[in-house]
Amino acid sequence: MAFLKLALKNIRRHRTRSLLALFGIATSVAVLFSILSFNKGFEKGLSRELERTGIHFMVVPSGCPHEVASLVLHGSLIPKFLDLSVMDKIIAMDGIEFASPILVAQLPNAQKGRMDLVYGIEMARVRQLKPHWHINGLVPKDDHDVLLGSEIAGHMGLKPGDALPYPNVNMEFRVAGILEKTGSQDDAFIYMPVKTAQLLFKKPAGATAIGVKIKNPAALTAITDSLSEKVPGIQIVTMNQVMNSISTLAASAKVLSLSIAIIAIIVSAVGVMNAMLMAVFERTQEIGMMRAVGASGFDIFRIVLNEGMLLTVSGGVAGILVSVAGNDMIELFARKVMPYVPGDNMVRFDPGIAAASLVFVLLVGMLSGLYPAWKASRINPMEAIKG
Amino acid sequence: MIELEGVEKVYKRGSEDVHALRGIDLSLSRNEFVSIIGPSGSGKTTLLQILGCLDTPTSGSVRFDGQEIDRKKESELVAIRRKKIGFIFQQFYLMPGLSVFDNVALPLLFSKSAVHRDHILSLIDTVGLSSRVSHTPGQLSGGEMQRVAIARALVNNPEIILADEPTGNLDSDNSARITELLKSLHDKGITVVMVTHNNDLAAKADRIIVLRDGRITAEQVAAESTCEQQNIKNSEDLIMASS
Repeated sequence: MAFLKLALKNIRRHRTRSLLALFGIATSVAVLFSILSFNKGFEKGLSRELERTGIHFMVVPSGCPHEVASLVLHGSLIPKFLDLSVMDKIIAMDGIEFASPILVAQLPNAQKGRMDLVYGIEMARVRQLKPHWHINGLVPKDDHDVLLGSEIAGHMGLKPGDALPYPNVNMEFRVAGILEKTGSQDDAFIYMPVKTAQLLFKKPAGATAIGVKIKNPAALTAITDSLSEKVPGIQIVTMNQVMNSISTLAASAKVLSLSIAIIAIIVSAVGVMNAMLMAVFERTQEIGMMRAVGASGFDIFRIVLNEGMLLTVSGGVAGILVSVAGNDMIELFARKVMPYVPGDNMVRFDPGIAAASLVFVLLVGMLSGLYPAWKASRINPMEAIKG
Repeated sequence: MIELEGVEKVYKRGSEDVHALRGIDLSLSRNEFVSIIGPSGSGKTTLLQILGCLDTPTSGSVRFDGQEIDRKKESELVAIRRKKIGFIFQQFYLMPGLSVFDNVALPLLFSKSAVHRDHILSLIDTVGLSSRVSHTPGQLSGGEMQRVAIARALVNNPEIILADEPTGNLDSDNSARITELLKSLHDKGITVVMVTHNNDLAAKADRIIVLRDGRITAEQVAAESTCEQQNIKNSEDLIMASS
């Protein structure tokens, strides 16, 4: 029989109390593990999405950088428009591979009584701008062909070849293709040729943004500096800036949520300490007996410390399992409440985070067990034979 | 084996000094069977604690196998308890979640000794519980629990067994059985010191020590005649002890 086995037996003697302490630890570790996993998934997903945009920087009207970041990734609405003469100036510069306008706007859908989101894009460049898209059907070639995000196609019950009428604006489109689910806001847009969108929204020379790809990424700073000088009233946002902007937002949320998780862990560690102190006081005579039959103070210390560590590590493992089992729910929740969430599955089991969480909870277990263990080791062996 | 000279033990109870032992001189030889009797508060348990290296005297000296132990560090006292002393308590103090086997083997965990299954089983057999090896204390009677405690006390092959009211929680049948077990241990060469209120049980010992108010007030050896034992029983000290 080993010290661990003895500690385990002691824990099992007070099942309800141990289970409650374990539940507290499991819950808080589940929160911690979920936050860390989500955060890592978020950063990876963000980085992946930026790589997939196929452009080096965006030119947008001067304004809020967060709006721009959101626009770059998922086409949010900005109530300002660039004049396409800006595009001519961009194309005229050296080192530009291509520049492509994007027009994002809302289109009233009288039949459904809602606003549909329209994303005007150069269809000839769709494969370059959105390399990660999988399209069922065709990329639109005609001015009245559209691509639908999977979510809006599902809502409308449309498939490639179907008609999409907007009688309120005297337009009828044909669905050329439907995007496979991306898990991001891309799923909610109607994509149409940018020229069609410009006519539709009466902005014949307008764009919400212009995506630019340069020939040599090393010349990025020189090109953006030069462009800023030549064209007033624009803002240039590089992909790194977008990344930083979203990461800053996400980091604030991360700090807040991590603080809550750590406070929860501290509270549950105090619960473990309390449960163990109670157990030690109840077992005073038993501990005295163990001292009488040869246990040193350190032996008793080890037994009680092992109990605390076993409780917290078991709680930690349970918490991680619960968190892994609830990955989908966490992701669904995050997508509902967060303004921007990268596509694909974000919350995945990460062995590194699991190991780090377990090490952390093991340390918490040690800390919460230290005082009860010290108290137990100080019990006078004569307590046992007082009877 | 154990020699006490002028042993005093004073406890603090609030602002009051409690003199638990007052100048005890006592010598225990190997393979003795000694009973300590006396009324409640006479210092029996304190004396047993000092004999068992669980406590040290306030003054006086204690020698265990010739070694002065009254000034030894706790770690040294632990080592003596592990190697040389076995304890039996009135309340048994078995670990509720552990089987009879694991309870008997428990002291080996602390002495870092190997658990030899045959040794444990033979001890369990010695106390007549071979059919209860896997049972937990909750499945045992009081007498059986005390027998497990005796097997546990023997697991480190101690030189001396210290028993504090070993039959205090048992009926007369079980008390007789435990007494026989202690006698058989003594017959095998183990020194047995037993604190008891039970005069019949005390009378089975080779020597009876009567404590009162922290002092040894009478001592009787069984080698003296049964008639003399009767005299002890009739003495005022013994009457007080059993009261």
